[in-house]
Amino acid sequence: MKTDKDKKPLQTKKILGRIGTIVFAIICALYMYPVVMVILNSLKVESAIQTSRAFEFPTAESFSGLENYGKAINSQGFLKSFGYSLFITASSVFLILLCCSMFAWYITRRKGIFSKIMYLLCAFSMVVPFQMVMFTLSQTADRLNIFGLRFNTPWTICFIYLGFGAGLAVFLFSGFIRSIPIEIEEAALIDGCNPLQVFFKVVFPILRPTMISVGILETMWVWNDYLLPTLVLDIKKYRTIPMLIQYFRGSYGKVEMGPMMASIVLTILPVILIYLLGQKHIIKGVMSGSVKG
Amino acid sequence: MAKVILKDIKKIYPHSGSSRKRSLFKRKKNEPEKKSNLQITDQGVVAVQSFNLAIEDNEFIVLVGPSGCGKSTTLRMIAGLEEITEGELYIDGELMNKVEPKDRDIAMVFQSYALYPHLTIRQNIAFPLTIEKVPKDEINQRVEQAAEILGITDLLERRPKALSGGQRQRVAIGRAIVREPKILLMDEPLSNLDAKLRTQMRAEIIKLHRRIDTTFVYVTHDQVEAMTLGDRIVIMKDGFVQQVGTPQEVFNRPRNIFVAGFIGTPQMNFFDAKIILEHKQYYLEFNKQKIALTDELNEKLAKTSVDTMDIILGIRPNHIQIGASDDDQVVEFEGKIEVAEMMGTEMHLHILVEDEEKTVVVQIADISEEQLAQLKEDNILKFGFDLSHSHFFDAETELRIQK
Repeated sequence: MKTDKDKKPLQTKKILGRIGTIVFAIICALYMYPVVMVILNSLKVESAIQTSRAFEFPTAESFSGLENYGKAINSQGFLKSFGYSLFITASSVFLILLCCSMFAWYITRRKGIFSKIMYLLCAFSMVVPFQMVMFTLSQTADRLNIFGLRFNTPWTICFIYLGFGAGLAVFLFSGFIRSIPIEIEEAALIDGCNPLQVFFKVVFPILRPTMISVGILETMWVWNDYLLPTLVLDIKKYRTIPMLIQYFRGSYGKVEMGPMMASIVLTILPVILIYLLGQKHIIKGVMSGSVKG
Repeated sequence: MAKVILKDIKKIYPHSGSSRKRSLFKRKKNEPEKKSNLQITDQGVVAVQSFNLAIEDNEFIVLVGPSGCGKSTTLRMIAGLEEITEGELYIDGELMNKVEPKDRDIAMVFQSYALYPHLTIRQNIAFPLTIEKVPKDEINQRVEQAAEILGITDLLERRPKALSGGQRQRVAIGRAIVREPKILLMDEPLSNLDAKLRTQMRAEIIKLHRRIDTTFVYVTHDQVEAMTLGDRIVIMKDGFVQQVGTPQEVFNRPRNIFVAGFIGTPQMNFFDAKIILEHKQYYLEFNKQKIALTDELNEKLAKTSVDTMDIILGIRPNHIQIGASDDDQVVEFEGKIEVAEMMGTEMHLHILVEDEEKTVVVQIADISEEQLAQLKEDNILKFGFDLSHSHFFDAETELRIQK
């Protein structure tokens, strides 16, 4: 028989649940507010943005259609910057996924003092703030010259990103690899694989869900990164999108708000798209069923 | 098909830094260092030692023993997944110590099946052939053939997670046999299945062995599996081989007390007894009885020239009868029934004899109604067994005295 005492916790739970919903809705609104503001203002004429009408919905008179977008794309070499950003992001994320998954596999499966130290170093690198190393790093990147290979171009900056992204990626990958039963790899060894085949034919496909989540995290970071490319790249020659947006600030303190808002929207669009597409592929439990019942 | 020779195989797991620290820490607290009796040397823990075995072509060998006895380690050394610390391993006359697993022409079935979760069943079975770069038509044909042998033809397009335990086990076996390996290694393949499925799969493995000409090496901790499957059984304990023999041999003539107790369910009963010499005739002294030993035992003991000897008498539960007997070769004792378990055709009695628990198996068909009525808890009854059925072990060395 249910007494009042039994019912009480259930009711409190319900109330707590509702309070939670409200709190998170408020937090969500706070987070979304700037994004919505940017989208709204990207559709307004310049004069409407600069005044107090910035917080209003666009009216017939302040609505500018896609004019700002046109301006954004045509001015300042937006497409070129977009290309640089795309290349840097793609090459960096590819390198991070490939190298870090292999490295994480190695240090997880090979027990020893070397593996332990490497793992701890990776974990430690996540704690070190970028600002602490940025000066020495940009100096090194400027001066380093390995057989003519320099690291201050968009084509090679991915190696620097690999270094910075490795900590988190290795940490996440090794956590997942530890959950893969070692028997699967031993079975592959017996079935005729060499270690490289074990990795690419067995471990790599099993790692897919982690690959996607690490990939999304690293993509968002590299795509939106402002500081590292500003420090390392030659600003006059190469501008990534976050750098470019800064250049909508004219030299005399005049800021072209409309095109700036529009290019911000264009910038966040791919990341959101990738996230939405990737989310579908993050299948939990790909592993379930491979071992035991 | 292959002959496998294991010569003086030894495996030492080196101490890792942390475990050494842990053992130091433990010693301070005066705790026992290790639960198992594995030998620990300066180099590390000795998991397997002085392992000698010649496995014949097409033989079904079962390695059996309690957990931690080194049976899986031995199998993994044959597979090449563990390095051999000392000794030599030959497959078909070739030294295999340093050969990679993939070049040994072996296949292995794991306890956890170890199927590749991202591949379909067809791709799983075909995997070893794909790696070998066998032509596609041949792969298909061989996969179909293997699937047919195991009755999994209609599962080929599914993924491992959609399969039940028994089906997965079949797929794992399929992946192993599709390569037609020289040796098929199985590491407790039935442990994850339920009792009914296990019996069924056991029979299938026997059939499979008849059908494909391959040497089987099978590891299990279940002595029933070992007895039913093996051409020969290797019984291990604490890294040492205790006995190698056919199921009949190890059952009828266990080499030591461990084997006697390990093989057979319910377990063999052991009694402390004494052998004494009087006028060139050896007698068994047990429970205030004195029984002359048979000529065979007499002769054997005469060679050792001992006068008295503490022994352990082993007797299987089904060789103990109820009630007194006139036969002078029958040893008698009294026991109090603690638990009587009705199994249908037989009854298992757990009796207390001088504060030690013993087991008796009574065939219901062999006893009268009157006797059956007596088999109740707390009843004190007379039991007896014929000396010809009993096993004599030296109490000191724990080795078998008879032939």
